[in-house]
Amino acid sequence: MLGENYVLGKNIWMDNPSIYVMTISPKKISFIGIMTALCIVTNYMLIGVPNVKFMDLFVFVSGYTMGMLSGALVGVLTWLVYGTFNPYGFNLPTLAATCTGESIYGIMGGILSGRLDLKTDRLRFHEEFWKDNLILGVIGFLLTFIYDLFTNIVTALVFEIPLIACLVAGIPFALIHEVSNFTIFFLLGNVMINTIQKLCEVRRN
Amino acid sequence: MWFYASLILLCGLIASTYLSVYYYDESVRYQSLYREAVERLNHLKTHMFINVLIDYGNGTEIWYNETEVPIGSSLLDVTRKVAKVDYQLFQYGAFVTAINGRGGDPGYYWMWYFWNSTSGKWEMGPVAADAYILHHGDTVSWVYEKASW
Repeated sequence: MLGENYVLGKNIWMDNPSIYVMTISPKKISFIGIMTALCIVTNYMLIGVPNVKFMDLFVFVSGYTMGMLSGALVGVLTWLVYGTFNPYGFNLPTLAATCTGESIYGIMGGILSGRLDLKTDRLRFHEEFWKDNLILGVIGFLLTFIYDLFTNIVTALVFEIPLIACLVAGIPFALIHEVSNFTIFFLLGNVMINTIQKLCEVRRN
Repeated sequence: MWFYASLILLCGLIASTYLSVYYYDESVRYQSLYREAVERLNHLKTHMFINVLIDYGNGTEIWYNETEVPIGSSLLDVTRKVAKVDYQLFQYGAFVTAINGRGGDPGYYWMWYFWNSTSGKWEMGPVAADAYILHHGDTVSWVYEKASW
């Protein structure tokens, strides 16, 4: 994972020790901006294909490579733009739910970055390629399941629809979302993580 | 190995649960729609649809399209179904005096017409409203107007 160079608990006002701020390095800010732009562009590009989006993978990869805060920020910022300027309409509680739900991808990416042990060296990358891809596919599927469940529950509560009816009505969309995310995470997850990590290593050297 | 197999099976379990719940719900819904359709078809064996126009003579015209009434109903029956009707019974039949409270002005009466689809014109009703038996798809109108006689 890239350098954990944001500083937590840095006291900038010596006169007032109760005020603490969190700073993020310019590199991370640039990365968050680029990934957010990528998410927004691909979302609008795929607006005609319901529930098939690359955004979830990009948010997860952001969290995996740059830490959970960066991942969560990419998710929230993407939804703030995409959820506000959306041809399907704007709804504040739904936007809050999708922002929260999307940040789960980034947070889980950050949490899993130290545990997944994806292979980056060329030989092992090819050896473990299918295994790693499969794990990423399953992670994509399960995270999407949680996201869909969460957003469907919020939708039911906001629009006062019976919960079971809302969940059942959302099944086809949830299934498309989960299967498509399994495929996207399976095919692109490992490649993207390795590419970003290698790019950053080159930069560092 | 077993760990990865379990993860894949978990995804499969979620997907198959989703599918089974969805198709169960769909089958229940279609069974219900089928029962409703059968009930509706049985209902149509004994009922018919009539289009009724009420022209209050003051520019207000209200259509009651596809009003459902039992087969063999008279014009008076269908009118009573869509409006509050005041009428008097005479030896030649019912004479409508007011519809939805409108009526009783000197020289003005509620006249009824039926739509002749062959000639494409409204024709004055030949009998009293309670003596005119309707048929499926008939279009009739009540007009509050000054009598020409």
